Amino acid sequence: MRPSRTSYPLSWRLMDAVEAIAASVWPRSFSAAVPWLMLMPAAVLVGLLVLGLWDMADGSFRTLDTATFLPSDDYSLANYDRAFTEKLFFTVASRSLIGSLIVTAITLVFAFPYSYVMVRTRSAALRKFLLIALFLPFFIGQVVRAYGWLIILGSQGMVNEALGLVGVAPIRLLYNYPAVLFGLVQYMLPFAVLMLAPALTAIPEEMESAAGSLGANWVRTFIHVVLPLAKPGFIGAGLVVMTLSLTDFAIPAILGGGSQDFIANAIYDQFFRTSDQGMGATLALLLVAVGSIMVGVVFALFGAGTLAMGRSK
Amino acid sequence: MVFDGVHAVRDATFDLERGRFLTILGPSGSGKTTLLRMIAGFGRPTSGEVFINGLAVGSVPPHRRSIGMVFQKLALFPHMTAAENVAFPLRMRRFDARTIPDRVHRYLDLVKLGKLGDRRIHELSGGQQQRVAIARALVFEPDLLLLDEPLAALDRKLREEMQLEFRRIQRELDVTTINVTHDQREALVVSDEIIVMDHGRIQQKARPEATYRQPKNAFVANFIGVTNFIDGVVASVDGDLIAFERSGLAGRPGNGFRPAAGVSARGALRAEQIRIGGGRETLGDVDTVFGGTVTDAIFEGERVVYEVAVPDLGGTTLRVFDHDPVAHNQHDVGSTVALGWNVKDVLVFGD
Repeated sequence: MRPSRTSYPLSWRLMDAVEAIAASVWPRSFSAAVPWLMLMPAAVLVGLLVLGLWDMADGSFRTLDTATFLPSDDYSLANYDRAFTEKLFFTVASRSLIGSLIVTAITLVFAFPYSYVMVRTRSAALRKFLLIALFLPFFIGQVVRAYGWLIILGSQGMVNEALGLVGVAPIRLLYNYPAVLFGLVQYMLPFAVLMLAPALTAIPEEMESAAGSLGANWVRTFIHVVLPLAKPGFIGAGLVVMTLSLTDFAIPAILGGGSQDFIANAIYDQFFRTSDQGMGATLALLLVAVGSIMVGVVFALFGAGTLAMGRSK
Repeated sequence: MVFDGVHAVRDATFDLERGRFLTILGPSGSGKTTLLRMIAGFGRPTSGEVFINGLAVGSVPPHRRSIGMVFQKLALFPHMTAAENVAFPLRMRRFDARTIPDRVHRYLDLVKLGKLGDRRIHELSGGQQQRVAIARALVFEPDLLLLDEPLAALDRKLREEMQLEFRRIQRELDVTTINVTHDQREALVVSDEIIVMDHGRIQQKARPEATYRQPKNAFVANFIGVTNFIDGVVASVDGDLIAFERSGLAGRPGNGFRPAAGVSARGALRAEQIRIGGGRETLGDVDTVFGGTVTDAIFEGERVVYEVAVPDLGGTTLRVFDHDPVAHNQHDVGSTVALGWNVKDVLVFGD
């Protein structure tokens, strides 16, 4: 009698065939090399990045020859000197740094209650709604979203129209620092929520009940139990939000209207407006350095949070 | 308490004297944890009220009640040391800060963890974590201690050790305690009183011996101990003797059961009350004897558990414990044996 379909389903037979083909292409004796083979594509990508960085490092030591508009042949530290002394670059750098810190703080404050409710609610419908509300803006690109804010916040936008109805003169809501920060917070919120939610899921509800039975009201439960236990999530979310907003381009460009440039905008200008590739490369490398130092400081102070991988102790 | 239209707990009125150790025993889904959570204040009864020291506490939130609770998964705070965990309720309940270290030390001593206060929770063994949880629940001298199956996850040896520890600490502090478990052995070992719950209702509330020896109904008889049920039809009732239509089978009423003749009923008989032997003469002084065939014999070390099919009881299979301290012989599967017991050990319940 033939074995019945249920005891050996078709999908198993297909897998058998695939395995047989795989075995003829990649004999079993090579199997130790399989993990390395799978690592190859990622290694190639990272390798290309390193190559690009090397090339930029080379470029950053060459100044722009204003006569020929070509990079100079000899190496000098002139670009770095300019980056550290010219007021424009200092303004842009401090604006981006302070901005990213403010955005991180505000985003974490907003993201925590959102993810807490999302994780703890007993209503599956509410959880789904919160998830969809979070992901929907994700599908709309950053640039489109920024233009959306132009429509809403512009001098003839919806907000000013509504204000006009109650007799308030139009307010300039766009092309200033708060507008950029607002746009960034709105853009970063989903990232922060998605990084916080797993950390909150990992806190057993029993912990909060226990704190309650031991005499802590909800505020003290939050301060003494939930917050310390959610620390890894805050660190992970904070790092992601901070690095992403420090290096953001589209939102400062569109909502800042050219007056609120972040470092990425300055780099863009150097590469594509003034065609000073050396200066652009210098700024780009400095941005990489500043970002890495900030991440390193956070790691050193608080540990790596949810970004710490491998086996836990 | 009603969940999605299902009563998790109803008709669960009971009272508990100060200083007593009560165990709520029941299968999973019997409503025992729901009942405990309502006492702790984590869920409000749909109707009814919880009184502590004569005061209604239904609308008092958990952190304002004076109740210490040891949770199923302990819920120790991993970001604190053992001593900080024990100090936590004192800080939250605003005890005088100067007395806190001393008191924490005293309670760590009570649970025999005097030297381990500085350890983090993950540096402690399972049993030590249990002890921290007990100390933390008791350190603020609550009116009531609740235990939500904290021993369920431990291995048997440690569990039995901790049961005795709970008993010792409870006696030492004389703290009123309510323990929830599905482990009948634990209930019998630790409690002054046992409440057996099923389907959200209290089936019986009694001392451990009474729960075991005088179960109020077939559920309790079945849930505690290993009980054989023999179904039959009542032939006659004569005082405290209920005779079944099957010849030779009789018992005494369980919980005052007074059936009329012709009513179907079931006799409950503990596995340890049945004697087993090769022939009737080996059974000693018994007043009921049936013959049967061994269908299974399980060697458990201190005893052998037999399953014996009895044709004269309609093929009912009876479970029999044989502790046999003398002969060390075992009846093989398939062999013919005699089973004997006394009428007074058969409790008769209605269907």
